[in-house]
Amino acid sequence: MRNRATAIRIVLIVWIVASIAGDVALAFGPIPPGQASDLASSESLTILLLAEIAWPVFAGVLAALFFTLVVNRLAPPTAVVSPEALRGNTRVQTAWIAATLVIVLSLAVYGTVALAIDQPGAGISTVSAALPMPTSTDQPLEVQVIAQQWWFTYRYPTYGGIETSQLVLPVNQKIQFHITSLDVTHSFWFYALGVKGDAVPLNDNVVTATPTQTGTYRVQCSELCGLWHGNMSDNTAMVVSPSDFATWIQQQTTLDAPIMKFLVPYSHTYEPSPTIYGT
Amino acid sequence: MSTRPTLARRLNEWGLLLGVIGAVIGFIIGFAIGTIAIGNSFNTDHSLGSDPGILLGYALSALGFLAGLGFLNYPIGRLLGAKRPSEEDNAYMHGEAGGLRRYFRMTTDHKVIGLQYLVMILAFLFIGGLGAMFIRTELLTPSPTIANAQSYLTLVGLHSTLMIFMASAAIIGPFGNYFVPIMIGTRNMAFPRLEALTFWLLPPAGLILLSTVFLGGFTTGWTGYAPLADQNVLGMDAYLMGFALIGLSIGLSGLNMIATILTKRAPGMPLSRMPIFVWSVLVTSFLGALASPALIAAVLMEMFSRTYQTTFFVPAGGGSPYLWENLFWFFGHPEVYIFVIPAFGLIMEMLPVFTRKPLWGYRVGVGGMVGVGVLSFVVWQHHLFVSGLAPSLRPFYMFSTEMISVPTGIIYLVSLGTLWRARTRFSTPMLFIFAFFFNFLIGGFTGVFLSDVPSDFSLHASYFVQAHFHYTIMGAEVFALMGAIVYYLPKMTGRTMDIKLLRYQFWAVFLTFNGTFLSLIAVGILGMPRRVISYAAYLQPLNDSASIFALALGLSMALFLGILIWEVVIKQRVAAANPWESLGVEWQVPTPVPTFNFDRVPVSWSLPYDYDTGKPAADFGPVAPALTGA
Repeated sequence: MRNRATAIRIVLIVWIVASIAGDVALAFGPIPPGQASDLASSESLTILLLAEIAWPVFAGVLAALFFTLVVNRLAPPTAVVSPEALRGNTRVQTAWIAATLVIVLSLAVYGTVALAIDQPGAGISTVSAALPMPTSTDQPLEVQVIAQQWWFTYRYPTYGGIETSQLVLPVNQKIQFHITSLDVTHSFWFYALGVKGDAVPLNDNVVTATPTQTGTYRVQCSELCGLWHGNMSDNTAMVVSPSDFATWIQQQTTLDAPIMKFLVPYSHTYEPSPTIYGT
Repeated sequence: MSTRPTLARRLNEWGLLLGVIGAVIGFIIGFAIGTIAIGNSFNTDHSLGSDPGILLGYALSALGFLAGLGFLNYPIGRLLGAKRPSEEDNAYMHGEAGGLRRYFRMTTDHKVIGLQYLVMILAFLFIGGLGAMFIRTELLTPSPTIANAQSYLTLVGLHSTLMIFMASAAIIGPFGNYFVPIMIGTRNMAFPRLEALTFWLLPPAGLILLSTVFLGGFTTGWTGYAPLADQNVLGMDAYLMGFALIGLSIGLSGLNMIATILTKRAPGMPLSRMPIFVWSVLVTSFLGALASPALIAAVLMEMFSRTYQTTFFVPAGGGSPYLWENLFWFFGHPEVYIFVIPAFGLIMEMLPVFTRKPLWGYRVGVGGMVGVGVLSFVVWQHHLFVSGLAPSLRPFYMFSTEMISVPTGIIYLVSLGTLWRARTRFSTPMLFIFAFFFNFLIGGFTGVFLSDVPSDFSLHASYFVQAHFHYTIMGAEVFALMGAIVYYLPKMTGRTMDIKLLRYQFWAVFLTFNGTFLSLIAVGILGMPRRVISYAAYLQPLNDSASIFALALGLSMALFLGILIWEVVIKQRVAAANPWESLGVEWQVPTPVPTFNFDRVPVSWSLPYDYDTGKPAADFGPVAPALTGA
C-alpha cells in the first residue's frame, strides 16, 4: 500500500515537473512560422497555445500509461477491488468524457474566435473588380498570384496590372493575395508570411497578411501539381521598404511597357486558352 | 448427374490457372474493342494503347480472372436451371480435405480466406515498403539522384496507393474474416461466395496498380486530384481501375460483415455481449459500405473524363476540381477510420488477456468506436481548409474534427482502466500494444494542430501532415497488425514465432519508427511540402536523419517478415493450443479449426473477459465435441 502511494506521488511529481518544464521551454523556443507578418505571428501564437495545452495532457496520458504498465507490476495491488469496479466506473467515465469535452469545446471556441478576428486565410472573393490603390497601410494592396505548371507569376492591378516573375512586397503594408491557377490545382505557400492558399483554375482564393520584417524569403507550391512540383519554388520573394518597393515597381513598369499591349486585361480569374485541357 | 460435380471440381482445382488465362483473354478482348472500335479520342500521344483500350482491357481482365476462378459458375448454373449444390459440394467449396491446395483456389471458408488475406496484406506491405525505401534514399539529397521527377512521383503514388490498399484490409481482412464468425459462434459468413470475391478482387487490383510502371506511371499521388489526373498518361488508368476494384472490395466486405454480425450470432449473444473486436468490425463495415460508393463514383467519373471527355472536374468545361476533392475526401476520411477502428478493437480485445483483468468500461468503449464512426462522416472538409471553399464552413469542420478526440479519448480511458492495478504480462504482443498507445498518442496530438484552422494554415500539406498520418496508420494500425500476427498465428496456423527474438525486433522497429517520423514532424514544421523530389538545402540534415532511420526501419520490418517466414513456414515451430491463456471463444475451439468451426453452435454466456473469475464465455454443449476435436 505504501509502495503504491509513493509510486503515485513520484509519477505525479515527475508529471508536474515535466509539464512545467516543457511549457516554459515552449514559451521561450522559436515557434514556426515566425514573426515575419501579422498572420504568421497569429499562427505562431495559436501553435504555441495549442502546444502549451497539449503538452501537459500528452505527458499526463504517458505518465498514466507508464504507471499502469510498469509501476503496478513492481507494486502489486493490495486493496481488493470489487467485481463491479473491475468492469467500469460510471463516475470516472463521466468525468473523463466531461473533461475531454471541455478541452475540445474550448479549443473549438478559441479557434473560431481566432478565425473571426484574424481572418487568417483563404476564401473566395465576391467582388470582381480589383481593389483601388491603398491610401494608407491599413487598406489592402492587391497582389495577384497566378500559378501554372510549374511557376508563379504575379500581377499588381493598382500599378497598371503589370506582370512580374518575382514577388516583391512593401513592408508594413496590408497585402491581399488573390490566388488563381491557369491549369491544375496548385497551392501558393509563402512560409515566412504564414500565407497558404490553393490555386484552383477559374477560382479566386483570397488571403490577407501584413509583412512586418524585410528580407528575402522562399515561396513554393504545396499541392502536388505534376512532374516538376518539387521544383516549383523560388528563393527570391522579397519584403522591402516602401521606397525600395516604389523604385522596384517603377523599374518593372518600364520593363513591362513594351509588352503591356499583349497582356490580357487584369481579372480575378483567367480562362485558359485553349480551353480544351489535356493537351 | 454424377459427372457434373467432378468437372466443376476439376475446373475449380485449376481455378487460379484458368483465372490467369481468363484475365489474358479478357484483356485482349477489352483492349481490342477499346483501341480499335473506340480508339484514341483525344490523348493522341500514347504509343502503348488508348485510354478506352486500357480501361476496358483491365475491366474485362478482372472479370475474366474472377470467371476463371469460378465465381460465375453458381449464378450462371442457377440461371440455367441447375440444381442446388449438394451438401458434399458445399463442403468441397468450403475447402474440406483440400490440404494446401485450397489456399490457391476459390473457397468459401472464412478461415482460408483470412489466411489468403494475411499473405496478400504482407505482400502489399512489403512492396509498398520497398517504395518507401526508394523514396527515403532519394531524399537523402536536396536534388534528384537515383530517380527523376516522373519516376519519383510514380514511386510516391505507388507507395501510398498500395499502402492504402493494404491498410484498408490489414486487420479486417485477415483477423476479421478469420475470427469474427468464430467469435460470434457461427459456422460461416452470411454470404460466403461474396466473402471470397472480396479477397479475390485484391490480386487483380494490386497487379493492375503495379502495371502503371509499364504505362508511364502517374503523377497525382494516391489522391488522384483532377484536373491533373486528366493530363496524365495511361498509367493513370491503372490507378483508377485498381482503386475502383479496391473500393468494390471494401464496400462488399462491409455489407457481408454487417449481414453476418447482425444475423448470425450464436444463441445467447445480444449485441451487448459481442466481443469488442466484433463491434469494431461492425462499425468499420458500416463505414466501408457507406463511404466506398463515393470513391467508386468519383473514380468512374474520372474514367469517363479520360474516355468520353466528360468535364466533371474541369472548370473550363463547367465542372469543378472541388467536386473530385469533396467526393474523394468524403470517402477518404472515413477510410482512415476504416484503418484504425479495427486496430482499436483488436487492442481492446488483446488487452484483458495480458492484464488478466476484465475489460474495463466495455460499453463506453463500444460507444467510443461508434462515436468515431459517426463523426468520421462529417469531418472530411478539414482536408480542404486552404482550398478556397466557403470560409464560413470552416468553424464547423474544425469543431467536428476536434470532437473526434472525445471518442478516441474514451479508447484510452478503457485501456487505462483495464491496465489499472493489473499485473500486466509483458509478453511480445503486449509490447506492440504499448507501442500502439504511444504512437497513436503522438498521432492524435499532431492531429490537434491540423484540426485548428489558424495553425493548419502553416502546417497544411507539409511533412507534418505526412508524419501525422504515418503515426496513426503505421504507428497504430501496422503495430497493432504486427502484435495481432504474433498473438493469433498460433491459432491460425498452429505454429508460432520466437517471441524472445521478436522482442529485439520490436525495439528496433519501435525506435527507428519514432526516429523517422519525429524527424519528419520537424521537417514539416520547418516548411517542407509533401511529395517533392527537390527541397531547400537547410532541410537536408533532418531529411538525412529521417532517411537513415527509415532505412533501418525497413530492415527491422524485413526482419519481422524474415522471422515469420523462417519460423512459421520453414521451421514450423509448433505452438501451444492456447499460449496466452485466453478465455476467448476463438481459443477454445481446436487447432486447426474444424472446417465448419463447431459441431454444435455454442451458447454464449458472457463476454469473454472474465479473468477475475475465470468463467468460460460460452457453453460448447453437453458432449463438447468441439473441445475434444472429435
